[in-house]
Amino acid sequence: MAIPIESLPPPGWDREGIDGLLGLFPPGRLSEIVGPRSSGGSSLLLAFIARITTSRSQGGGQVAFVDGMDALDPASAAAAGADLSALLWVKCAGRLRVALSAADLLVRCPGFPLVVLDLDELGPVPASAQIRLQRAVEGSDTILIVRSARHREGSGASLVLTTRRLAPRWMGLRPLTRLAGLRSEASIARSRLYPLSPLGRGQGEGQQGEGQQGEGQTWTIDWTL
Amino acid sequence: MTRIACLATMSEPARPTALLQVALAHSPCVEDAGAGRVYLDASGLQRLFGDEPHMAARLHEAAAAAGLETRVGIAGSRIAALAAARLGAGATVVEPGGDAAYLAAAPLSLLELSEDVAARLSRWGLRTLGELAALPTAGLFERLGGEGVRLQRLARGEDPRPLASSRPVPLFEESVDCEWGMETLEPVVERMRELAVRVCASLSGRGFAADAFEWVYRLDGGGVHEGALAPAAPMTDPVAVAGLLRLALEARPPRGIVQSLTLRARPVRVTPAQESLTDRSRPSPRVLAATLNRLVALVGADGIGAPALLDSHRPDAGALISYHPHPDPLPRRERESGTPSPLRGEGRVAGRAAAEGEASESKVRGELREPTLALRRLRPPAPAAVTLASGRPVALRSSRLTGRIVAGVGPWRSSGEWWSRHPWLQDEWDVELADGTLCRLAHDGSAWHLAGIYD
Repeated sequence: MAIPIESLPPPGWDREGIDGLLGLFPPGRLSEIVGPRSSGGSSLLLAFIARITTSRSQGGGQVAFVDGMDALDPASAAAAGADLSALLWVKCAGRLRVALSAADLLVRCPGFPLVVLDLDELGPVPASAQIRLQRAVEGSDTILIVRSARHREGSGASLVLTTRRLAPRWMGLRPLTRLAGLRSEASIARSRLYPLSPLGRGQGEGQQGEGQQGEGQTWTIDWTL
Repeated sequence: MTRIACLATMSEPARPTALLQVALAHSPCVEDAGAGRVYLDASGLQRLFGDEPHMAARLHEAAAAAGLETRVGIAGSRIAALAAARLGAGATVVEPGGDAAYLAAAPLSLLELSEDVAARLSRWGLRTLGELAALPTAGLFERLGGEGVRLQRLARGEDPRPLASSRPVPLFEESVDCEWGMETLEPVVERMRELAVRVCASLSGRGFAADAFEWVYRLDGGGVHEGALAPAAPMTDPVAVAGLLRLALEARPPRGIVQSLTLRARPVRVTPAQESLTDRSRPSPRVLAATLNRLVALVGADGIGAPALLDSHRPDAGALISYHPHPDPLPRRERESGTPSPLRGEGRVAGRAAAEGEASESKVRGELREPTLALRRLRPPAPAAVTLASGRPVALRSSRLTGRIVAGVGPWRSSGEWWSRHPWLQDEWDVELADGTLCRLAHDGSAWHLAGIYD
C-alpha cells in the first residue's frame, strides 16, 4: 500500500505568520528592513534573532548584532525568546563608520549565521560601504540584515522588507490601562533572488535567478507587549 | 593498608603552593584541601623515608626549611590525620587501627559541619567525635539523613573517599634579552612571535591551552612596559597568538627602547568536546579571537560582549558580559532549566512586573512564541519637556521626538534600592504621539526623560 507523502513544513512552522516571512532572508546576501519608528522593524529583527539562537533543529546559532545607536534592549530580546548568551552585541555609540567597519569584520568571520546591522536613523550608508558589505557576505552562509529608517535609492539589497505601523492596541476602555501591543504590516518591496517557498530559503537554490518574486506580498503582524 | 599524612599550617600561608611543593617532594599523590592543609598518601613510603615517626619528622623539617610553620599527623584516614596534626605537637603518628580511639576525644569542629547540622548536634549535647560515633546509626539516619551517617563514619575514622590528586599548575613563561635595544615595533613583534611559538609548543606538550597572555618589557632607562590579552577561546595556535600579540602591540606600543621581553601564558586544561552533527558550526576560535580583538580596537573593550539581564527592577538593568561561544559545557536544555540564570529576576515595574515576567518566562520556555513588541532604548535617556493636563502628559518636546500626545497610559510607578546609596524612583508612561510613534516616557521625580521608542 502506498503511503502518501505530503510535503509539510516542520512542526511549529507558521507559514502564514512570521515564520514564513523570516524564511525569506537569503544567506550570502544583503537584506534590508526599512521602516519608520514604531513600525515593528526592530521587533521583526528580534523575532529573527530568537529563531536563529534557539532553533532546536539547527542547534542554535550565534548572532552578531552591530548596534549603531546602542538601542538594543536585552529585556525585549529575552522576551522575544532570544538566547542572550549566543548574541554578540557590538555597541557603536552612534558612529556610522564604526558600525559599518564592525559589520564588515563580522560578515567575514565564519560561524555567524546572522549578522544584524541596526542603523535606525543613522546614515545614510555610503554606496561604497554598502557594496563592500555586499561583496563581503557573498558566498558565505551568513544572512546580513541592515535595519534602517529610510530606504536609500540605489541600494543593492537582494531583499527589502518595508514595515508600516497600522495601529497600537491598548487594554482597558476609558481610561486606557496599558499598552498591549502594536499591529504592523511588513511587505516585500524587493526580492531579487528567491521565490516564495514553503520550505524556506533552501529551496531557492535550484531556482536562482534575478526576478521579482513575491514583491508586494504583505504580512500583518500583531506584536504583543 | 592506607596511610595518610596531613600537613597543616598554623596560619594561612603566604605562598599556598609552597606547602603543595613540600608534599609533592615526598609523595606522588597529594590532595590540596585548601586553607593551608594538604594530605598526602604515605602508604609504602617507609623504604624511602624510614618508619612513620621519621617520615613525620622529615615532613615537619622540610616544611620548616620552606619557611612554613606546620604540624604533621599520620593516620589511617584523612580525618584522623587532621586531628593528629591539629591536636598533636609537631609530628604525631596514630598507630594503625587506632583512628577511632584517637578521634574519640577530638572536637566536632574537625568535621566542618554546616551551620544547621552544627546547631542540631549542639542541641543534642554532643561535643566530641566519640559521642557522635557512639550514637545509634539508624536513629541518626532518621534525623539527619545520609549526611548524618557520613559524619558518623568520619567520626569513627572511616573515610572511603580516595585522595583527589592535585598538582600545581606549571608556569609557562619565555624570555629573551636583546643584545641591542629595539626602538621600532617590528623587531619587537618578531621577538614576540618567537616567544609565542615557544610558549605554545610548551603548552601543547603538557596538554594545556592558554586563556590569557601577559608580557613584560624592560625598557632602556629602567622603565617597564606591561600588557595582557585574553583571547576569546583558550588557544595554543602560535600563528593566532602571534597575530593577537601584534594587534595588541600596535594598539599600545611600548614607549621606549626595549631591552628584554618576557611572555607568560595562563594555562587552562581544555576538555576536548565533539560538536554535534546537528549543531550549527560555531565561529572558529582562531578567526573569532582575531575578529573580537579588532572589534575591541574599534569600539573599545566596554562596547562588545553578550548582553545579560541583571537581577534588578531598575529600568534598563543590563550588562555586557564576555562573549564565549566556545566551549558550551551545558546542553541547551540544561542551560534553560538551570537556576542560576541571568535571565531571572527581570521585571520592569512593580505593577506589571508579575504579569509580564510570567508571560516572558513562558515565551522563553515555549516552543512557539508570540511576536513580541520590542523597545528601542535611548542611552542615555533623552531629556524631555512634557506638558501635563490634569496630571496626564499631552505634549512632548525633546531632541529626538516632538509632538502632541494622543493617547497614553500610566504612571507605572517603580522604585528600588532605597537601602543603598543609589536609590531610584521612576514613573513610566507609554504614550502615542500624533504621528503614530509609540514611546516610553519616564519621570524620575525631578525631570522627564524619553526612555525608549517601541518598534
